[in-house]
Amino acid sequence: MSDNHLEPRDAGSPEVPGPETAPQGLTISRRRLLEGMGATAALMAAGVAPALLSALPGKASASESPSGGGDAVDAIAERNQPVNYPGRPVKYAQPAGDEKWVMVIDVKACIGCRRCVYACVKENNIGRESGFTYIQLLEMEPGSIDIEHAKLDYEEGGRPDKWYLPVQCMQCAKPTCVYGCPVKATWKEPDGIVVMDYDKCIACRNCIVTCPYGARHFNWVHPHVPEDEINPDVPLDEKAGTIEKCHFCIQRTRNGGTTACTEACPVGARVFGDLSDPDSAVSKILRTRRVWRLKEELGNEPMIWYVG
Amino acid sequence: MSTQSTQWAAPAPDTKRLIGIDWNIGGLLHAGPRFYAFISLLVTVIFLGLMAWGAFLFNGGGLMAMRDTYPWGLWFTNYMYYVGLSAGGLAVYASVHLFGAEQFRPLSRLAVLQAGVLVMMALLGIITDMERFWRAGWMLLTPNPTSPFVYTGSAANIYMIIAFVDLWILITGKGGEKLAMRMTLIALPFAVYLHTTTAFVLSLNKARELWNSAVMVPIFLTSATASGIALLMISAYIMQRFNVMRFKKSMFRSLSTLLATVIIIDLFLLGVEILSIFWPTSNHPGHSARMALFFEAPYGWVFIPVLILGVSAFALLAGRNRRHLPAVQLTAAAMYVVAIFLKRYTLMAMGFAIDPLGQFTAPYFPSLVEILIALMILAIGLLIMAVAAKILPLQVPDQEIEEHAHEHVKQRAEWAALDAEPQAAQASVTEAG
Repeated sequence: MSDNHLEPRDAGSPEVPGPETAPQGLTISRRRLLEGMGATAALMAAGVAPALLSALPGKASASESPSGGGDAVDAIAERNQPVNYPGRPVKYAQPAGDEKWVMVIDVKACIGCRRCVYACVKENNIGRESGFTYIQLLEMEPGSIDIEHAKLDYEEGGRPDKWYLPVQCMQCAKPTCVYGCPVKATWKEPDGIVVMDYDKCIACRNCIVTCPYGARHFNWVHPHVPEDEINPDVPLDEKAGTIEKCHFCIQRTRNGGTTACTEACPVGARVFGDLSDPDSAVSKILRTRRVWRLKEELGNEPMIWYVG
Repeated sequence: MSTQSTQWAAPAPDTKRLIGIDWNIGGLLHAGPRFYAFISLLVTVIFLGLMAWGAFLFNGGGLMAMRDTYPWGLWFTNYMYYVGLSAGGLAVYASVHLFGAEQFRPLSRLAVLQAGVLVMMALLGIITDMERFWRAGWMLLTPNPTSPFVYTGSAANIYMIIAFVDLWILITGKGGEKLAMRMTLIALPFAVYLHTTTAFVLSLNKARELWNSAVMVPIFLTSATASGIALLMISAYIMQRFNVMRFKKSMFRSLSTLLATVIIIDLFLLGVEILSIFWPTSNHPGHSARMALFFEAPYGWVFIPVLILGVSAFALLAGRNRRHLPAVQLTAAAMYVVAIFLKRYTLMAMGFAIDPLGQFTAPYFPSLVEILIALMILAIGLLIMAVAAKILPLQVPDQEIEEHAHEHVKQRAEWAALDAEPQAAQASVTEAG
């Protein structure tokens, strides 16, 4: 490969001058080249700087909560700030209040019956032939929380030799899907709910790629719901050809209700509430029980906790 | 000098002058039946592709083989592939101006035309995939600075414009060598930038273990350069075969040397990545489980050929006795162009094969609609190249090449003189010491 230098170097050769890698000086000096490249690099850096800044919204508040002083749970609620929020209210729901919505799921209680899944499909007008559900239940092997060995398409729940892990949109405090959307068609509301703008989504599906929880779903086919089962509080046709995801039943929770999955759970494994309220059930659980979060090492700061 | 260079070709009777370029309309009108047979084949493919695209827009993404587990498919493979081919070919052209690699000057117009057409094909791939493509304007109105898509999309658009403007400058000779050089100064960093941001679309995802590696960027760049050079070599041979352009044998020889060099760097980087994923002290289960798919059926059937084709292409070009033969050069180039396509496909598909919830999904294979749309885009690219070969003056005038070659020799003599002086001075110093 180095015959660049072995090739006809002698000036007497009648051929075209051989390959040269050294600058010939006839056109551009190395200095000019470096200057040009430096300027380009500076331009790119200028473009990336706001990106990096906006990716670190919780930095200041995180440093204010050393483990000794303030309340660690309060600090988590504090870090749960809006991202790419356009400042206009969501259609089909009340404006956001002061709450910080979170959920705790008791995996010791969960029997894997999927009643939350069915309730969610009904409540949120998920196309019956669309091939996805907001909530995905994993049948886990004992002795490990490694989801790589979990089973998603198990037949029936309730097996004593397994345990069950419901996964849905975690409403992350640092939502990689929101960071990844090229057009800001998805954002995080002041009350922590990550919402979608079906009228703005360009269908690039980058958010599916950036989400570590498999929580985003694309309407590959037109969402079809039987006439008598349509929920008028939730969009349907607008969702065709766009992404949709769990939004903590924003149409219910902002009107004082709870999520459909919490309501449907026969064993009370799901607790939904306001983390900024110290008397709420979720606040008490987080302060008194040993809880964990899925893939916490990725740093997305999911707002759904598991307790066992 | 450069303003005169356009006068090299005596204006043919059927030539029409527009925006400073002599369009050889006659060449197109008097083309042979084989040419028109080829064109009608391409038009048929484009027509079929348009029907497929219409069906997709009317019926939705259900016609595609992509699903939530494989959110991106053939279009994204092609996006990475075309962008890479484009950037790689441009690197060759840029070396003429930046590094004085005069032997590649005859390729300049072809390289720039090809770069522009390939990026256009990459962009067409995105547009035909987006089910709501008319909303793409939001990219300009509310761009999200944390999304790599914004950077690669805008870079591709700007780069395409740069390539076509550059082609015009090269053909008309407006602004002379100085402007051509300045365009290179813009185009080359943009080519690197475009391909870096394309790699970032994959690598900046902590949710996808297989891609979340910084070495993805250099691998993308070397794969791009290698496949781009290989494709340029193939195009040059085709242009020569149909008497559109002519090149010296030494040019192909230099090109194949460059190709072999980049291929081995590309394979080296891939080897480094594979090693660090499987080494017992560094493997992460999630990562190595995904990488292992590279070597198991069914993906192994696609990826192992990448390694075989890559190593054989290098071996063919490294062999001292045969590498000057056009057949050997063409075979090696074709092998690497195919290898990089397979590599892009496996890289994309296997990143999705195990989804973020650890579930394995059956391999992705594009549906008929996806294949027809991809073929349509390929046919559009070939159509532009075929028509351009007939009507555009792609051959760089001999006068221009010779002028620069002379300048080159003169420059070299000056450099030699420069080298001789300090040597003499040093010799006297050592003698004195």
